Amino acid sequence: MEATATKSPDLTGFSREAVEALSRSRNEPDWVRESRLAAWETYESLPMPTRSDEEWRRTDLRRLKLDRFAPYADLDGTITDLASVASTSEGAFAFGEADQRAGIVVSRDGGAPYVELDPAVAAQGVIFTDLNTAVHEHPDLVQQHFMTRAVPVDFGKFEALHAAMWQGGAFLYVPKGVQVELPFRSFALGETAGASIFTHSLIVIEEGAEAFFVDAFQSETADEASFASAVVELDIADNANLRYVQVQDWGRNVWSFMTERAILGRDAEMKNLQVTLGSKFSKNSVGSHLRGENALAEMLGIFFGDGDQFFDHHTWQLHESPLATSDLEYKGALKEKSRSVYSGLIKVYEGAQRTDAYQQNRNLVLSRTARADTIPNLEIEANDVRCTHGATVSQVEDEHLFYLMARGIPKSEAQKLIVEGFFRPVIDRIPVEEIQDFLQAAIARKVGY
Amino acid sequence: MFEITNLHASIEDTEILKGVDLTIHKGEIHALMGPNGSGKSTLANVIAGHPAYEVTEGTILFNGEDILEMEPDERAQLGIFLAFQYPTVIPGVSMANFLRMAVTNVRNARAEREAGDGEAKKMTPREFRKLMREKMQVLHMDESFATRYLNEGFSGGEKKRAEILQMALLEPTMAILDETDSGLDIDALRVVSEGVNALANDEMGVLLITHYQRLLNHIKPHFVHIMMDGRVVQSGGPELAHELEAKGYEKLRAEVAATA
Repeated sequence: MEATATKSPDLTGFSREAVEALSRSRNEPDWVRESRLAAWETYESLPMPTRSDEEWRRTDLRRLKLDRFAPYADLDGTITDLASVASTSEGAFAFGEADQRAGIVVSRDGGAPYVELDPAVAAQGVIFTDLNTAVHEHPDLVQQHFMTRAVPVDFGKFEALHAAMWQGGAFLYVPKGVQVELPFRSFALGETAGASIFTHSLIVIEEGAEAFFVDAFQSETADEASFASAVVELDIADNANLRYVQVQDWGRNVWSFMTERAILGRDAEMKNLQVTLGSKFSKNSVGSHLRGENALAEMLGIFFGDGDQFFDHHTWQLHESPLATSDLEYKGALKEKSRSVYSGLIKVYEGAQRTDAYQQNRNLVLSRTARADTIPNLEIEANDVRCTHGATVSQVEDEHLFYLMARGIPKSEAQKLIVEGFFRPVIDRIPVEEIQDFLQAAIARKVGY
Repeated sequence: MFEITNLHASIEDTEILKGVDLTIHKGEIHALMGPNGSGKSTLANVIAGHPAYEVTEGTILFNGEDILEMEPDERAQLGIFLAFQYPTVIPGVSMANFLRMAVTNVRNARAEREAGDGEAKKMTPREFRKLMREKMQVLHMDESFATRYLNEGFSGGEKKRAEILQMALLEPTMAILDETDSGLDIDALRVVSEGVNALANDEMGVLLITHYQRLLNHIKPHFVHIMMDGRVVQSGGPELAHELEAKGYEKLRAEVAATA
């Protein structure tokens, strides 16, 4: 595959012209083009975040040169079969067996994606397609949900840029009462170094419905810096149930910005896992609005930095209604010169009585040059709540290493065992064998030594 | 077989071992007794290669080879085993996974040594599971034990049994048991002692470190040594333990001081 041949040579940086060119090349309906241009206006009106903004205090954007990226890449490519885009590199997240998924959408750069949906699932009224197709075929649903509720256009500078420049991604709509057990899988594959990739996951689970969605972002490492913007919107209606897993494995040349918000209705349940392995720089913002009574959000995170990777995770547990539960556990390991920032807020709104919120961030620092910062936060405006949080930054304990070595296990294997053990309690919470196996292998590869 | 000569060791510039001499031949069970702070546990840790201790003088020869420059895993692979007084908890690491890695490393190293230039026969996962089940039965351990995290939530008795299970699986030729009797009730003490007695054989040397005579009612030593202030100050047969029990450490200390 010619990796850099398809980069649009005529445009670099983001501009109104780029937005228009993108929309034109897609033959988009007027409302889409107009919403893109309105978002562009919003983008231009918002200031670039600086380190005086609390959320960006530990994040250095000075080396991010937005005007150097091509705004999109390869809008014409078409994926005719999955085998032709399957990654051959070791440890890439696999597409999975055809009989082990309800459907799959694979996008490469900005080109036309590969889409597959189990006919039996489609027959139940489930919509699962790429977002470009969805704006043509399901305009009402897209207009109703796309960047209106979970992540509105004016959410922030990068979100507004995303609303103007989005290129690919998946749309899942599960109608009332429909329960699908097998996962829907979406892959955003980046191929053109130096370009931008904008991927959007719009997931709407109607009342009493149930689904499992696996999102994956990946690209090979290249020399030239690339830009990735992902927005994930999870709309989970009353009594609905969603398991969402995201694996970010961009190449080490990628600046990655990911914003994810879930809205949970009454008695709704979400099990969420964020896995951050790749990229050069990642800014992840993950939040749950517990909007209905008795909603439940499980928010798990695994990140593992090496080399000079920088990961910044911000989480929000937003208790807007009484009796809801949120249970967050983010675990990270850092080796070599990698750095991480975790900042989490539990916010309990007035009247959200009998909230049960838990937040835990644990970091394992594996070298003297690696560093993890953790900043837990509570903001409570109700008086009958149970909120607990814990944050630690620690190193592999000499006593653990000695114990294992005294049993004949060489140091490198002992290290690996300890790091795997550190992540094990989170992995155990995801009762999906394929994901567990992937994570275990990914961690073992990261530990390396 | 196992020969400690004039061993001096320090931790953070404080000398704890001040010239230990001790020789153990294969097939022999030695008891090392002494008051708290006499250096018994330090000796055990130095033999196993704990990185916090610095050996400043002396040698430890195991089958003629000086082990002091070896990493802890290399010592274990040679057949040295330490049953810890306080086994550490390692979260998220399952017993089965840990045991498999330990047994694989130690047994494969031995198989390679024995094979010389020939092909070493390695243990299969199936063989390992069978072996683990057998040994767990001997020690009255429930099968669920294997799925638990290493020493996490284990009672004192379970921890000590887990140590003996490791010894049973690794089949050391030099086993050091550091206060394996501490914190055990009489039933657990019996199970652990039976385990040790069943494992001890003509090819193995055993060093039992204990504060009390109690353990020696269950495991009969051939030799008894008394350690004080970082040295072995008296050695003898099993009768020495009884003498010590009758006199107490203080009286013995006075006698040692008088003859010094």
